[in-house]
Amino acid sequence: MANEFATKPVEDSIARVNGEVAVGEDLDFQRKWWRFENGAWIVFSLIIILDLAGLFGRGPLAKAERRSSDGTLDVKYERIERTDSPSILTMQFGAQAIQDGKIKLYISQSLVKGLGTQRVIPEPEITTVGKAGLTYTFSASEPPASVDLALEPSGPGIYDFVVGVVGAQPVHAKIFVVP
Amino acid sequence: MAAVLRAFFGYLFLVLVVRIVGRRPGKQLTPFEFVLVFFIGGLALTAIVGNEASFTNGICQIVTMGLAHYTLAWGRSKSSRFARLVDGTPLILLEKQNWRVNTLRRMRIKNDDVIASARDSGIGTLQEIGQAVLERNGEISISARAE
Repeated sequence: MANEFATKPVEDSIARVNGEVAVGEDLDFQRKWWRFENGAWIVFSLIIILDLAGLFGRGPLAKAERRSSDGTLDVKYERIERTDSPSILTMQFGAQAIQDGKIKLYISQSLVKGLGTQRVIPEPEITTVGKAGLTYTFSASEPPASVDLALEPSGPGIYDFVVGVVGAQPVHAKIFVVP
Repeated sequence: MAAVLRAFFGYLFLVLVVRIVGRRPGKQLTPFEFVLVFFIGGLALTAIVGNEASFTNGICQIVTMGLAHYTLAWGRSKSSRFARLVDGTPLILLEKQNWRVNTLRRMRIKNDDVIASARDSGIGTLQEIGQAVLERNGEISISARAE
């Protein structure tokens, strides 16, 4: 059993200069640290500039737009999203997208699961569950018509997604979600 | 798992940022430094806790913070190089009636801060100060000039 009252003689191990206790200043180390600090401030400034530019989402660099090759669908989204932060993906339909007063929109499963679709605005009349995604049916009169998806990604990663009007050319894109 | 990692890296990042932001004499903490302390704390809380406001998460993150702090303190006690990295070293601000202007500038400390600490130590004039040292904890210690 360890002796709880173990003792050790006091030794005067404190460094002294001219009989006085040394301050312990280490200017060589401090100069290196100041150089490191300068670098850190540059990195901090860069982070802010890149953030304002939208490299971490929510800025001009993050905004993206894709159009299907046949012009039925135009998708505006943020190519860089943030985890647990809401955003809107807007889909604008061309005249060819409306068939018999309906728009049938297909969205891949990654938009629902990975990118966390919270709401579809307006609410679809019919939702059909498919193998790799969902098909929403909306009533539509004439263009311009648009549908918004309210996204809120639950985790970081790169997510491929596909959206398209059923029977027309789809739009493929990627969204990078930062932590 | 993610919450524990957030707490761990959040703690390390805060230690780094506070270390870089600099030591300011504790007793002369100005209102804007109070704002910094509370604001950084609040922002860190938001990012670290996220949307997991459960009691379990709170306990896990507090334990993680405690363990991270213990590890840092243990490292400091075991390695003087590590301690120097985490805490820095004392810095002389005034010696032999000369200001260390470069140190004052780099540490963002004004002569007034030193004079305030001198008054706190019962020294009324600059001529009576033998040495002023910015300690690792941000305090300025003043020793009287030898007669």
